[in-house]
Amino acid sequence: MIGYFSRIFRDAKALVQGHGITLGYLFKPAVTVHYPDEKLLPFEKFRGALLFDAATCISCNLCVKACPSNCIQLENATNEAGKKVAKVAWYSIDFGKCNFCRLCEEACPTKPKSVWHSLDYEVVFTKRDEMVRCWKASFPFIGRYFDRQAGDFKDPEGQVSIHDVAPRRN
Amino acid sequence: MSDAAALPSLKSDQLFINLGPQHPSTHGVLRLGLTLEGELIVKAVPDIGYLHRGTEKLAEVRGYHHCVVLTDRWDYVSAMPNNLVFCLAAEKLMGVKAPARADALRVMTCELNRCASHLLFFGTYGIDVGAFTPFLYAFREREMILDLFEMLCGARLTYNYIRLGGVGMDVSADWLTRAKEFLEYFKPRLDEYDTLLTYNPIFMARTRGVGLVSAAEAVNWGLSGPNLRGSGVNYDVRKHDPYSGYESYDFEVPLGQEGSCWDRYVCRVREMRQSIRIIEQALARLPEGPILAPGVAKVPKPAAGEVYAHVEGSRGDLGIYLVSDGGISPYRMHVRAPSFVNLAMLEEKLAGMKVADVIAVLGSIDIVLGEVDR
Repeated sequence: MIGYFSRIFRDAKALVQGHGITLGYLFKPAVTVHYPDEKLLPFEKFRGALLFDAATCISCNLCVKACPSNCIQLENATNEAGKKVAKVAWYSIDFGKCNFCRLCEEACPTKPKSVWHSLDYEVVFTKRDEMVRCWKASFPFIGRYFDRQAGDFKDPEGQVSIHDVAPRRN
Repeated sequence: MSDAAALPSLKSDQLFINLGPQHPSTHGVLRLGLTLEGELIVKAVPDIGYLHRGTEKLAEVRGYHHCVVLTDRWDYVSAMPNNLVFCLAAEKLMGVKAPARADALRVMTCELNRCASHLLFFGTYGIDVGAFTPFLYAFREREMILDLFEMLCGARLTYNYIRLGGVGMDVSADWLTRAKEFLEYFKPRLDEYDTLLTYNPIFMARTRGVGLVSAAEAVNWGLSGPNLRGSGVNYDVRKHDPYSGYESYDFEVPLGQEGSCWDRYVCRVREMRQSIRIIEQALARLPEGPILAPGVAKVPKPAAGEVYAHVEGSRGDLGIYLVSDGGISPYRMHVRAPSFVNLAMLEEKLAGMKVADVIAVLGSIDIVLGEVDR
């Protein structure tokens, strides 16, 4: 009988103690944010979606060799004489394979970096074609994808740019 | 003639049910084929392989720097020890030694990661046995650790931070201040966890004396990490085969007594306190100097040979066997994944238990399926 009541007392005490802790936090500000309405800015080193600048790229192939998943492809541009020049004809990243490991950015020798991680963490691919981003001379940093049905390059729809140009591009 | 005799005889059949692969309590994609006799388990067959990515094979066609990225994907809850063990093995092959600052940073990040991993265990184990509140508290603190990692290396789970011959990025003064602030914030939280869950009578009733693993059984099954120490066996790679300068840190190895679910749980909670001690010591002594050892080539070609390196990961003794034939990629890589070995005891342990205890036992051995399947 005593054991029965002492157990009830012990469990009730633990319940009150537990509630005591949660009660303390009830009057403190919330640590969460309401995501789609409020968005947190990641830290400056954050490895988000890759951006590329065809104007500064010297087509050295170092990022292609540094990539652990072979998701980068590029082709040299050629001049009128058919000789290769230090520019890319086209450059593509397959985000279906990308590891977001920053080895390509670290390998890039140009200043400012020609391929770099942005802060964009909201990247959505609605089509398989969209995963392969392509860059050519006049393309924006976030690239375009080749729509095989339409047979044309299109702007990606599912990417929200947290910053227009990443602040860490150096 | 009584009424009971008029009833048709109650015949019972054995019932086969699938627990998983899509079950929130299996922590990933583990399938347990359970044969039940009423509420009792007659036979339990764990079925793995749903998350097989073939990283061991992939390593044979990737360079050594690339393999570090692959290691992130084994135990995605604590990827720092994965990075570390591969780098230790590859450094042994190349004859490179990480500088003192890199060693301190490696210890610091690995212990922070251990805290993050154990916090995830703490939260989800509470949910498994029916306590929801501790989960929210644990994830609040875990977010802070992940923020520290994001600030340090840019990723929250797949860090690629520890590199061959050192670490990838140096810490800033801002990071060190934040880390110290976090530790000060974190210490009293552990006392709250004890009140919320560890010594909660309902939780103790669910886990104490359940899933007993004796010390002899634990050693025979090759368990490691908190699962082994929960049975009272004092084995910790950090103490018994120190790496990265662990021999110079002052910390204890928490041990359990009877090897029940609660013992395994409490080992992890106490380990977090020891991790805090180690991080504080590392922060206090952080030496100046380079973070990458010289002499690591862009495309390393270590001399032919074979090495084994192991570390105390968050889940146990994580080892790598690495063979080189002098080429640009390893000839063979084998991972001794603690989760995989720890999982092996389930088949024998679960027989004879109640269904409700399956979740308690499964949660307490803390597996990550990414590491089981690799």
